[in-house]
Amino acid sequence: MVTDSDNFGVALRMKGVSKRYTGTLAVDGVDFEALVGEVHGLMGENGAGKSTLMKILAGSFNDYTGSIFIGQKKVALHSPAVAKAHGIGMIYQELSLARPISIAENLLIGHLPAKHGFLLDRKAMIQRAYRLLDRVGLDLDPLRTVEEISQHQAQLVEIAKVLGSNPCILVMDEPTSALSREEVKRLFEIIRQLKKRGMTIIYISHHLSEIFQIADRVTVMRDGRRIGTKSINEVTPAMLVQMMVGQTIDEFYVQRKSTIGEIALNVRNLTRKGFFHDVSFQARRGEILGIAGLTGSGRTEMARSMCGLAPVDGGMVEVAGRKLGRHSYGAAMEHGLFYLSEDRKIDGLFLRLPVKQNLVSAIIPRHTRCGIYSSRHENATTTELIDRLDIITSSASTEVSNLSGGNQQRVLLGKWIAADPTVLILDEPSRGVDVRAKMRIHQAVMELAGSGRTVVLISSDLPELVGLSDRVVVMCDGHLIGEMQKGQLSEESVLLAMNGELDEIR
Amino acid sequence: MENWMKSGDGTKSLSRLAVIYDLVGIYLIGLLLLVVGVFVSDDFFTMTNLMSILNAVALLGIVSAGMAFVTYSGNMADLSIPSIMAFSGIISVAALPLGLLPALVLGILAGMLIGAMNGFVVGRFNANPILWTLAVAFFMEGFMRFTWSNNQVYPDIEPGTSGAAFIDIFRMSIGPVPLIVVVMVIMFIAGHFVMMRTRFGIESKLVGSSRAAARTTGINVPRVVLMDFLAAAFGASIAGIFITSMNKLGVFYLGKGYDFKSVTAVVIGGMMLSGGRGNMLGVFGGVLVIGLLANIMTFTGINMFQQNIVTGAIFIAVVGLHQYRLRKRGKDYA
Repeated sequence: MVTDSDNFGVALRMKGVSKRYTGTLAVDGVDFEALVGEVHGLMGENGAGKSTLMKILAGSFNDYTGSIFIGQKKVALHSPAVAKAHGIGMIYQELSLARPISIAENLLIGHLPAKHGFLLDRKAMIQRAYRLLDRVGLDLDPLRTVEEISQHQAQLVEIAKVLGSNPCILVMDEPTSALSREEVKRLFEIIRQLKKRGMTIIYISHHLSEIFQIADRVTVMRDGRRIGTKSINEVTPAMLVQMMVGQTIDEFYVQRKSTIGEIALNVRNLTRKGFFHDVSFQARRGEILGIAGLTGSGRTEMARSMCGLAPVDGGMVEVAGRKLGRHSYGAAMEHGLFYLSEDRKIDGLFLRLPVKQNLVSAIIPRHTRCGIYSSRHENATTTELIDRLDIITSSASTEVSNLSGGNQQRVLLGKWIAADPTVLILDEPSRGVDVRAKMRIHQAVMELAGSGRTVVLISSDLPELVGLSDRVVVMCDGHLIGEMQKGQLSEESVLLAMNGELDEIR
Repeated sequence: MENWMKSGDGTKSLSRLAVIYDLVGIYLIGLLLLVVGVFVSDDFFTMTNLMSILNAVALLGIVSAGMAFVTYSGNMADLSIPSIMAFSGIISVAALPLGLLPALVLGILAGMLIGAMNGFVVGRFNANPILWTLAVAFFMEGFMRFTWSNNQVYPDIEPGTSGAAFIDIFRMSIGPVPLIVVVMVIMFIAGHFVMMRTRFGIESKLVGSSRAAARTTGINVPRVVLMDFLAAAFGASIAGIFITSMNKLGVFYLGKGYDFKSVTAVVIGGMMLSGGRGNMLGVFGGVLVIGLLANIMTFTGINMFQQNIVTGAIFIAVVGLHQYRLRKRGKDYA
């Protein structure tokens, strides 16, 4: 595969590229090369410098050092406009679409067709929008607004928008983080088509399986440096992980001896019309119960309704044998049922507050007498949690937003560990964090279960779900369609079950 | 490239200025104004003048101490403050035949009723606090003008009546210190304690930092917001009684201007409009600085309208600085 691409020549060459932020060298003398018509995977832990390297390519900085060649030509990418003019297209994790306006206007923003110089040429606009949508295999009415379409459709529209400027190098930063497996498959088909047309695609991802599916070569970065570039045929997942973390990882998931006790969580016929229906399951003390399902299967909605953060239309929830009376999160918390939300930035962390205040935020009522809050416990609580979860922060009073993603996620988990849960629901507890942080989080989750707590784990990360869970219940289209015991769990079997294609479960 | 470096240095020194402002804050400016005042007039640094400054800002201080909770909890400002002030005053005057104490209690309750409504709607239904309280202010003005036929409400001030006692409230002193100044100081001390040491205060900070995160942390957000608006209404009601006592009459326009002036005090005192930042000490400093500034401007012969221009300009500058700093650090998630 690589030899094929070699014939086409080099599309991009970066030589000795460095970028310094105040105090730190984020990218340190990196040589990077991508060939015409290849998908080049770019991997590394959070903070390894891969995003900064790509931002340099996108013209976000005017003060990088080193030289960049596109084709044979040396270029100075000092502004986004220059980068775009040299045929570099970027697709970021966060979509850049304006939600209230039409797909067509989003696609052609900045170069809408005009007639008589100033009037919008609607017909031409619609035609051109259709053509762009066709390139990503979307059959949508371009006059619909972005907020009317699904997340994955929006992601494809974003890709179509970038393709509209006819880039020769396309950078994708974690493009699958919001997509389900089925949608990822479609995205990969599109990538393969683009590749066939000779486009160079640089694909940033934390997911090993994606890299092995789609990339021709892969470059690993660590601490701002390039560790190595390999053809995908000559590496194994274990080798890549080792390159990323700089140490050998024998086993991703340690075998855990679970001691499973009495029923701690009992959910009966829980229903929210249009989201999930008649969901019943139980979880025991000391158990990690996985919930598998594609995006849109109703997993998150069910979890949020279960603990009173979203409405329910029927059913009941019991924690440690006691029925939740009021339907409110406060009531759930009184019973020790907590929920770690799926997006730490939106409704998980208090980003502008220090680590300390985040860690103690869920235990304020516990340290309040007659309305007066006693902060005496704070230092001890915080030190213990920072220690226990290896949170890397310059001090307990550092703003959480200054921490890396993996450490932020640990703070979020620490907040709930501090609150001493009976049942803890974890919704994507390690999304978008690096390998080391993920391992630390997994260890903490296992410790939690080991101490007799019940953990309900919602995760799109199949190795995580399979590795951690004692048992998995499977949701599909708002229904709980089955249950898999530890012995039956494998990535393949769970994947099939999530798609509703495994009959022998339960 | 050189140009760019220069602008880089410029932004650096500006953000260093901001850090200094955070540390010693508003009191440094206050000190500066004291020095300026001495140069402006010989009568400036006298006990009488300094006390008169305190007296002049006391109303604003009482309002700001309450308003601070609304800003702190991320709800920006309560623009119905002027109507709450007027309403509590009118109700107090109207209730004077029942006796002084019942009249005061009823006046404060009337004001807090409006606060409860604001807090309920903003907390429970996520109404935009600015628009909602603006609408309430508009409604209340109409309501008061209609109910009292666009007239002023006068207390009976025969000596010995509760009306006479009511008029005295503003004019009472404890030793050399006017009652209203004492009340302001008590409000700030109590407010500081509530903000820093009570569950309600801590939860207000969390709600102000991120309402969504507060919700998933199990905080009863509607109740916290309700209490924040009640705090603002409480301050405004007390101030309303004082201003009514001062004017010897109750009327719908009495609190005019206190909405904006109190937000200015709160914001230059270091509380960010996006919530969760700042403290009562700073707000008190903000109130003092506004008082000093007004006093100095009066000494130098700057009239009321020009003073408004200055206050407005300061507000714009401080909010601009806050925004600039957040953006500089890539954190303008307001």
